[in-house]
Amino acid sequence: MRSVDVARTALGNTFRSKLRTALTVVAIVIGSFTLTLTSGLGAGVNKYVDTVVGGFGGSSQMFVLSTGAADAEPTDGPAEYDPEAAASSGGMFGPGSGGGVLTDSDIETIEEIENVSAVDPMVFVSPDFIETPDGAQYDLELDVPANALGLELAAGDAPGDDGMELSIPEDWLTIFDTEDAEQVIGETVQIGISNVTGEQSTVEAEVVGVSEEALSGIGATPMPSRELNQQLNDLSMEGYEGQAQNAYTMAVVDVENIETNEQGVKDALVEEDLLGLTVEDQIGAVQGVIDAVSWVLSGFGLIALLAASFGIVNTLLMSVQERTREIGLMKALGMSSGKVFGLFSMEAVVIGILGSVIGVVLGLGAGLLGNAWLTGEGGPLGGVAGLTLFAVDPLAIIGITALIVFIAFLAGTLPAARAAKKDPIEALRYE
Amino acid sequence: MSTPVLETENLVKVYGKGATRFDALKGLTFEIHEGESVAIVGKSGSGKSTLMHLLALLDEPTSGVVALGGEPVTALKPKKVSQLRNDTFGFVFQQFFLNPNQTVLENITLPLKIAGVGKSERNRRGMEVLEQLDMADKAKNKATNLSGGQKQRACIARALVNNPTVLFADEPTGNLDTATSEIVEDILFGLHRDQGITLVVVTHDEDLAAKCQRRLMMQDGEIVTEEHGATGVHA
Ligand SMILES: Nc1ncnc2c1ncn2[C@@H]1O[C@H](COP(=O)(O)OP(=O)(O)OP(=O)(O)O)[C@@H](O)[C@H]1O
Ligand SMILES: [Mg+2]
Repeated sequence: MRSVDVARTALGNTFRSKLRTALTVVAIVIGSFTLTLTSGLGAGVNKYVDTVVGGFGGSSQMFVLSTGAADAEPTDGPAEYDPEAAASSGGMFGPGSGGGVLTDSDIETIEEIENVSAVDPMVFVSPDFIETPDGAQYDLELDVPANALGLELAAGDAPGDDGMELSIPEDWLTIFDTEDAEQVIGETVQIGISNVTGEQSTVEAEVVGVSEEALSGIGATPMPSRELNQQLNDLSMEGYEGQAQNAYTMAVVDVENIETNEQGVKDALVEEDLLGLTVEDQIGAVQGVIDAVSWVLSGFGLIALLAASFGIVNTLLMSVQERTREIGLMKALGMSSGKVFGLFSMEAVVIGILGSVIGVVLGLGAGLLGNAWLTGEGGPLGGVAGLTLFAVDPLAIIGITALIVFIAFLAGTLPAARAAKKDPIEALRYE
Repeated sequence: MSTPVLETENLVKVYGKGATRFDALKGLTFEIHEGESVAIVGKSGSGKSTLMHLLALLDEPTSGVVALGGEPVTALKPKKVSQLRNDTFGFVFQQFFLNPNQTVLENITLPLKIAGVGKSERNRRGMEVLEQLDMADKAKNKATNLSGGQKQRACIARALVNNPTVLFADEPTGNLDTATSEIVEDILFGLHRDQGITLVVVTHDEDLAAKCQRRLMMQDGEIVTEEHGATGVHA
């Protein structure tokens, strides 16, 4: 028997009892639909995370934080006063600082670590208000300039290093009485900040960009340029009696040849009770969680497939039983056992292909439509710039199809072996 | 005398073991020559079908030898035996064994499909055989829609489509009325006469047996008598 005839006959036989085949196929469709959806979901979210990483650009950078907790060595009785540690625990330096803050001596230590080419300390300032040209004042919290790399812009540019600039989030357009992002570019605002003695002063800054909110949260708050940030910090420190003790939320460190030197720098930082994180470290943790979730979901898809494969075994066993005479006839007329096995395995494969193709198409359709609806204009997640919840990964789809066809083939081997083993005489005697 | 196309030597078939042991064939030795027509006759349970299955290589003897064209087949691999069956033999079974969902043409070209013949060649040869049996107009009909006689003719067409050397027929007229039986007998003996096909017929039917050149009378797994000379229309 020619292979093409085996395939054609198998196809014909599959459609002989349509309802039974359809029900078996449905079970496989459920499995392949689930797998397509979950793998697409994982791919989509990871793709989004990747674009966020891409936004941070310079991957030669490492973010350095004080581990803080390490400072609080267990002591008996009251700890001896240490001005540096006191500055470190100064509570005014905002969120995101982990356990503690970096001091000037920390920065010097970092600079001395091998392979560190530049250290850019970040200060976190807490201004009081922002004033629009029409005189209205609003509460203001500022992001740190280091995050500017991750900014997704709806209009204008990200605030740079120099110049008194800032970007505002898209939903702040209302305070300028406009909906057009382009219109606020170039507007001048006043930012008010209090110093340590409670005295308030203002600085002028220009709006240079309008940001969209990324999933990372960057872009949800106004972001100052480095110069503006520094200026605000200087204002807030004014009137400080005694030796001014700078405190930094974190430092952005440039590392030479980060691929090879990453671990060395990190180890050196740990010795100083500091923690170095690359962008990959931060994003990698997120992707690890996403991968884990999508694997768990895929596990459910695989369970559905396992159930479906028993459906195939059952369907084909029934089919073999029903067609005992036909099998006997074919063998009597000279069909080899191998070909009989091939014919029935092929029927299993046909069922597998049908189920996987339908499931994959439905899964892709549902995924793409769902993604368009959820993240599209006006959707529940429409506000998150660049968010993709579902991506088509051709390799994954080929993999899923191949896996299902393989599972179907495996499921078909038991009935096919049954069919191949049939004795033609017994089969022809079978009533 | 021509070369024996099929020969057996001390052919034994035993079913079961111990208490249920049953000797279906008890050491048969005979020859069937090319172009002969042979009837295997005997009471029910005498071992006729068992013998035919062994001759047709559908089953293996417990002991003894079946030789095809002078070569013993017992030692051959199953795949080779399948191929031999497909090339050399045509079968008309006691029941029709037609696939009801397929057309007559698809049914009768099954041996060619198994042999790996391409579709157009299959259909050409199938139509040729159907024309020979006056069935060409039924080629596209579903097999279920045929009368009993037409079904038996379709079965004969299927047996002939691969130009067999030997045609085995187990009770070919068992299911048919007298008139239709005669038509089927005419076809079988016509083929034997015109194409020189070797005919091996298992039957209860005295008329059909009488038309064969040789009759092997079986009883309890043994050939008790052997008659020569057709007493029917063909001498
Ligand atoms: N698979 C088997 N197991 C046990 N006994 C069997 C088996 N096949 C056949 N027999 C026995 O072998 C004997 C011969 O059977 P066979 O089918 O050859 O008879 P037959 O001459 O063709 O009869 P009929 O004219 O009724 O078809 C019978 O007694 C039958 O019961
Ligand atoms: Mg019989």
